[in-house]
Amino acid sequence: MAADDGDGGDGDERRGRLGRLRVRAGDLWAWSRERADNVPRIARWEVTKNAGGADRRTIAVALLAIVGIAILVPLAAGHGVALDEGIYRVGVSEESPLYEPVAADSTFAIQEPSPSAVRADRQDVLVRGAQVRRIADSQKGRAAASELRATVESYNDALMDEEDNVSAAFPVVVNLTYVEQDAARTLAVGDTDEETLESGSGGDGTGSETDGGAGTGDGGGTGDGDGTAGGANGGDSADGGDGGGSDSQGTTGGGTSLTERLTGGSGSGAPSDISPPFPFRSLVLAFVFVLPLNFVIQAYGSTILGERLNRRGELLLVSPVSRLDIVAGKTLPYFAGAMAVATLITVALQGSHVSVLAVAPLALLFLSATFLGAMFARSFKELTFVTVTITVSLTTYAFVPAIFTDVTPIALISPLTLVVRDLQGQAVGLGQFAFSTLPPTLTATVLFGLGLGLYREEDMFTQRPIPLKVLDALAAPLVRYRSVALVTAVLLPFVLVAELVVVALLFALGEASIPFILVAVAVIEELAKSLHVYAGYEHARYDRRAKTALILGFFSGLGFFVAEKFALIAQLVDLPEVPAGRAALESQATLGTGLPLPVVLVGLLFAPLVLHVVTAAISSLGASRGKRPYVVALAVAVVVHLAYNLTVVSLYV
Amino acid sequence: MSEGRDRWRDGGEDRSGEPGDPDSGGALLASLTLPNVLRDPRVVIARRDVASLSREKTIVLALFIQLFVAAFSSFLVVGLTSLYDPGSVSGTQVVVGVSGEHTDALIEAAEEQDGVRAVGFSTNEEARGAYVDGELNAALLTTDSEGRITVEVLAPEENIRTTLIVTEIRDLLEAVERNERIARAGSLDRQTVPVPGEVDASPYFGFTYTVLVPLLLFLPPFISGSIAVDAFTEEVERGTMELLRVAPVTLVDIVDGKAMGMIAIAPLQAALWILLLGFNGIQVANPLSLLVVVSAFATVVVVVGLLLGILTGTRRQAQLLYSVVVLLVFGTLVFLPEHPATTVAKLAVDSPTTLTFAHVAGYAVAAVALYLLARAVTRRTDPEAL
Repeated sequence: MAADDGDGGDGDERRGRLGRLRVRAGDLWAWSRERADNVPRIARWEVTKNAGGADRRTIAVALLAIVGIAILVPLAAGHGVALDEGIYRVGVSEESPLYEPVAADSTFAIQEPSPSAVRADRQDVLVRGAQVRRIADSQKGRAAASELRATVESYNDALMDEEDNVSAAFPVVVNLTYVEQDAARTLAVGDTDEETLESGSGGDGTGSETDGGAGTGDGGGTGDGDGTAGGANGGDSADGGDGGGSDSQGTTGGGTSLTERLTGGSGSGAPSDISPPFPFRSLVLAFVFVLPLNFVIQAYGSTILGERLNRRGELLLVSPVSRLDIVAGKTLPYFAGAMAVATLITVALQGSHVSVLAVAPLALLFLSATFLGAMFARSFKELTFVTVTITVSLTTYAFVPAIFTDVTPIALISPLTLVVRDLQGQAVGLGQFAFSTLPPTLTATVLFGLGLGLYREEDMFTQRPIPLKVLDALAAPLVRYRSVALVTAVLLPFVLVAELVVVALLFALGEASIPFILVAVAVIEELAKSLHVYAGYEHARYDRRAKTALILGFFSGLGFFVAEKFALIAQLVDLPEVPAGRAALESQATLGTGLPLPVVLVGLLFAPLVLHVVTAAISSLGASRGKRPYVVALAVAVVVHLAYNLTVVSLYV
Repeated sequence: MSEGRDRWRDGGEDRSGEPGDPDSGGALLASLTLPNVLRDPRVVIARRDVASLSREKTIVLALFIQLFVAAFSSFLVVGLTSLYDPGSVSGTQVVVGVSGEHTDALIEAAEEQDGVRAVGFSTNEEARGAYVDGELNAALLTTDSEGRITVEVLAPEENIRTTLIVTEIRDLLEAVERNERIARAGSLDRQTVPVPGEVDASPYFGFTYTVLVPLLLFLPPFISGSIAVDAFTEEVERGTMELLRVAPVTLVDIVDGKAMGMIAIAPLQAALWILLLGFNGIQVANPLSLLVVVSAFATVVVVVGLLLGILTGTRRQAQLLYSVVVLLVFGTLVFLPEHPATTVAKLAVDSPTTLTFAHVAGYAVAAVALYLLARAVTRRTDPEAL
């Protein structure tokens, strides 16, 4: 403790500052040491307690069942599952040339051709001779006819496979190359953007089509996971070359079931072999990463809720470890387990460390959401529902953007996109990695923080109503005036998500939904700016003077504004890549309001700030008075917000 | 003890139904009026469990998820299937530049196709240049090699329209291939089967009925089963099972009541799904048979869950075994002549066969048999051991 007197000349002052810095560093070091001591110990207790929790009989039965499943899976895969077996009914007689293709495709159920049956909707397609004579007048009939056409086409391709005269059987050979437009350069051979695989002759060119057999196994280990020949851009081009490995025998006659059509595209061969870049197989494999997380959070949720039952967690709470230690120690084994499983899967799929690192924020997000859910749940039944909701929503978040991996860079909002790219053998830049993984990590931290606020006796062991618990969680981090700004900023991602969900829900209503969306957005934003202020007042963190309320309102509005602009900048990073983004950015320059550009810019920048501060201050003033004044003030703030939005809209229109 | 139970069940009013009385059958029937049924201890337990679900407002979460996904069923389906069949979604035309020795064959085929507009160029370099300058969506450069038409396709990369462009080009080249095969039919041993004409059909049809509908209908039973495990083991762990057993009910009644409640909510949710899908334009046929299937599956799953709860007595072990056993049981269903998902798909799309209905009956019988087995096991269990 270098506590100098700190007065006198410059040298003394500097020593004083340095001394304080040294003290702070020392405190930090001690703090870290203590965490490093406590957290592993609690983690160890968590693991040993749980492992001892299941008795031998249970473990034996569970292992037996798992062995049963392990035996079952290859048998089931061999048996083959055609989900769309027999959904279309086709009337065709054995003499017709169309009989063979129809019989080979399990999607069709063959019946005696009968016009009356078609009229009565008991038959979908009627075939006489070599022609389709009748189609049932329904969506189903038309879908059946379209399916029949596709079946016959692939049957023909399989037929041509057996021809000796290759040039007559496959008279067209295709080489698909992806070339950038608006560029002066031409791509040299061997560039990673180009894929020019040789079509070869006859057989193996069409091998990729029959790789559909791998599709039905649903990525269960058939074929290679790499598809990385030459770092190709467009789908699983290696399937074309890998065709020899897959079993093409099973699909003669060209069944075109759903799963076969969804395999990744190849870039060359006969025309029916090319398909657009859609990394379906990589996507299914990426799904495999998310699946174990769902099981991990079941166990994690039940252990956290178990702490709250019968005051079991009280012992740890009264011990000299901090709440952070407890939560971190309890979470660590589950996080490590999830990472271990992810590593195993990555090794099995021949990915790289990028996949494992990309799954980490996802695992944290799942765990943090479950932690918060377990802190709020009042019974195990409730926890089941909460877990299911978390599973559904977070899996959707992870999965849906990744579908667009090859199409648009916005797909990067989901870390699974990184995994898909890695499995396809593409390089992932540091900027892309950061853009993908930072938001989920930050959100997970926020959720853990909110849950930590609830990790105390009043909230854990009682059946406190949920609204009160929400206020407890929000009030926990409020210490100073400017904490309010931090909490508002940190709540912004949830605001964005809520707004997205509202838009998605009201999307079905079409144009009529726009006023509802505007109102909903205003309500959500005002709530996010003021709810924690109200919580702070209810927990007596701040005094109830008007001046304090105005200061809090200012900080809240400022925090919201800064976070909003921050998020915008993050989007702007990748926006020029997307044509729509380019157009939007270009159109910003000319606004046609007749004012000079600097004034417009200042107006654009500071008008939102003024709005946020004013509305937050109004709600804050109401919150300082009590519950009912708060609700009234909130309504006023929403109206002000709406008025502002309408003004802005009318300015542009 | 059993006398008291019977009197409880009769509502205490009609005393003619003494046990052993030859008239007790008629008295039993008479006691099946609604107030008496509602006072049956099993029904009371079932009502209490379901009511607690609504009080906890967590059923709202489940309904919310279902509403969200159902309202989005058409949106999701369009989004997902447009990725592998984008021509169906977009009405725009793709502008393609064609050059080389086989320009005529390609332009001829392009005239038949609505989604493609072909522009001829005299040399391959011209076409390539026009593509790079952005005047074309794609370029097809043809050459002749060993009597075959070799086409080099230039397509834009990492563009939302790439999928659409490549699909349209594929259709075009397939048409060219068909024409060429017919022209060269003399050198072929086998004849190709004539391809039926193109039909304007919804490409999402298959996906909706074979994947989406079975998924939505099988979700409620799984949720029901998981809640059933919790409903039982949580009472044991919190100690409220002892209080329940102090009431004039047997363990069998308790299990009956809990099972009834959890089984009932599954077909209700399934019916809600079917209604919502109907509002979204996806007609589901044979709703009654589908509800029978859903109820049967719910029964099996709930019974398995409750049995595991009784046999293990702790929540953690019961849940673990439940997940694994249910997976195993449904894994074995793959070996049935008709997969349950296929059964549901065929019923929903209105293509049921006698085999389909046989399966539905089979599921119902299996469910009832399992339920009776569970009751037998419960009767033999010593409640003190819980």
